[in-house]
Order: sequence, then structure tokens, then C-alpha cells
Amino acid sequence: MTPTDRPERAARHIAFLLAKHGDELARHIRRMVRDDDVAQDILQDTMIRAHGALSRLAAGSNERAWLYRIATNTSLNHLRAKARERDAMRRHAAERDTALEPHADGRQEREDARRAALWAEVGRLPQRQRMVLTLRIVDELDYEEIARRVGGSAAGARANVYQATKKLRLGVGAL
Amino acid sequence: MTTEPAAVERRAVERVVVGAFGALTGRRSAPLHFAMMDDTPVGVLGLAAGARGLRRLSYVKDEDGFVERLLAEYGDVPVLRSTGLDNVRRALDRYFSGRRLDFDLAVDLSDLPPFNRHVLEATARIPPGEVATYSDVASRAGSPRAQRAAGNALHDNPVAIVVPCHRVLRADGSLGGYGGGVPIKEWLLAHEGARPAAL
Repeated sequence: MTPTDRPERAARHIAFLLAKHGDELARHIRRMVRDDDVAQDILQDTMIRAHGALSRLAAGSNERAWLYRIATNTSLNHLRAKARERDAMRRHAAERDTALEPHADGRQEREDARRAALWAEVGRLPQRQRMVLTLRIVDELDYEEIARRVGGSAAGARANVYQATKKLRLGVGAL
Repeated sequence: MTTEPAAVERRAVERVVVGAFGALTGRRSAPLHFAMMDDTPVGVLGLAAGARGLRRLSYVKDEDGFVERLLAEYGDVPVLRSTGLDNVRRALDRYFSGRRLDFDLAVDLSDLPPFNRHVLEATARIPPGEVATYSDVASRAGSPRAQRAAGNALHDNPVAIVVPCHRVLRADGSLGGYGGGVPIKEWLLAHEGARPAAL
């Protein structure tokens, strides 16, 4: 084996996974972050992370589910970071502007805050629930399709979503 | 200075990923889009097309094998699944149902050597229901004596059925070879109403 064999093989494997699943992962990510440029970065990040973890992926495991998990986590990290950033900016602006006029419309802000809180809660869900929930509510897939993509049964996916929404209701309600 | 293996690896992946995502979002040209047709009378077919037309129509075992072959053959070109290629599927459906036996599809043979391209272009002009010999297509490709080379070019035809290499037979009327297997060649000719003399 020459030293260049391994990188080429790994890159080929990533190209293979992208060929098979890239289109649906891109849709999943785009629906979560709602921004094409950001989605491009996140898919790239997802595949680079996948590449980094490739050697730890057990033979015979569900690669599609594994990629969805990485894509979901990477998207959520982005959404949470963005929410934190927006929060900090708002606090900063509020401190600076208190002497000036109050914000004309707090509705958008409240909506943003609610979304950010929701994503933060989603990020705290167990791995599997997090992934299945986003496929259900963001990608609007039915349970059979979710099971096809990430393995397990449709009933299992339904249970995951049920558990996840229950936790979210408690979490967000308590905020 | 030597480059860290990890950096080489990362760059290789980035090249693939950036190229492919650029293609997904339509910002970069020339990805190869593939699709599968699972239930045809001649088995599983793999289709692949670039911006300039159909580049592959192959008899395959399954999707994974087809994707691996595309990646091996097209190197740096990003390969992506397509929900499109509907025009190709529709044309093939019409062909298999017998409603229309000729194809009005853009075919891209530009990555082939000129001789192979000429042979395949000559082959594409054989109408359904008719057959030609290896030496016929060699002549039509401008090299009358290159029938063996013509045979090889036909054997390597990347776009089966649409470029109808199955319509090319031996001079004695026997079927000759076929990439998808001789029984498929026989089926296609019977489907088109061509009658090889040997049958």
C-alpha cells in the first residue's frame, strides 16, 4: 500500500456516500437552516466529519442513518450558535439603546427567541429522537419513509417522535 | 517540506465534497447524474447523464455497483443521484412497451476516442427493425477494414440500447457478442421485429 492509497480510498468512499445520499442530505440540511450558502457549508462539514469518523464506523452499520445523524447535529449546532449570537447582539443593542427608543415590534423578537429555545431543546434530546424528530417535522416525512432512511420500524419512529415532542413540550413550556 | 497525510486526506475529501455540493446547488457545472431503472424486460439498468446528454446506459447488478463504477471511471466528476432523467426513462418505457422503438435523446460520446465515436454514431443510424454487420459499421465509420476494432468499440458502447449496438451482427448472420449477454441481444432484436438470418 502506498501512502496515498488510504486518502484516495477514503475520498472515494465519501464520494460514494455523497452520490447515494447527498441529494436528500442537502434537502434535509436546507430545510433546517433555510439558507443555501449555510447549507452548502454544513453539508461540506457533515461529509468532512463523516470522513473523520469513517474508520470508527462499524462494518454493516446503516451509513444512511449515520449520515443523517451527523447532518442533523451539524445543522443544530449551527442553529444554536446562530441563536446565541443573535441573543448576544440583541443584549448588546439593548444596553446601548436603552436611553433611546424602545423596539417598535417585539413580535419578531419573541418568535426568534421561541425558535432558538426550541432548537436548543431539540439539541438536548437523545440522538435518535433528535434525528427522527427533525425528519418528521422539518422534512415532513411519514414514519415508513423515516424508517427506510434511518433504519428501525415505522412504529419505532412514531414512538421516537412522541417521546421527543413530550420532552419538548415540557422543556419549552418551562422556559 | 512533506505534507501531513491527514492534510492530504482532508483536501481529497474537500475536493470531492465541494465539487459535489457545488453541483447540487447548481453553482458548478458538469456533475454526472445517475438514476436506476429496476424493472425492465432486460433487467436492471443504470443511467447516467451530464449536461450534454446521456453518457451511460448499462446493464447492472445493483445501484451500489453502478455508482462505484461511475466513480472509478469518471474520477473527479461528482456523481449524484438524480430524481430527473425523466426524459430518458420515458423514452425507455416507450421503447420497452413497443410504442416507439427509436430514441430522440441527446447522447454525449465526447469522452470516447474518435474511432469509437464514429462507429457508435454510424450504429446510431441503423433504424429499429434493421441490422448491419461489423464490417458495415466499420465502413460507415470510415475504416472499412477495421471490423475487429469496430467490434471492440461496440463492445465498449457506454450507452446500450439507445446506441443500438445490438443491431450489429456477424457477416454470416450469427448474433456475435453482447455486453448485456447474447440472450438480451436476441430479445431486443425480436422486440424490434428484426430477424437475424441465423434464427
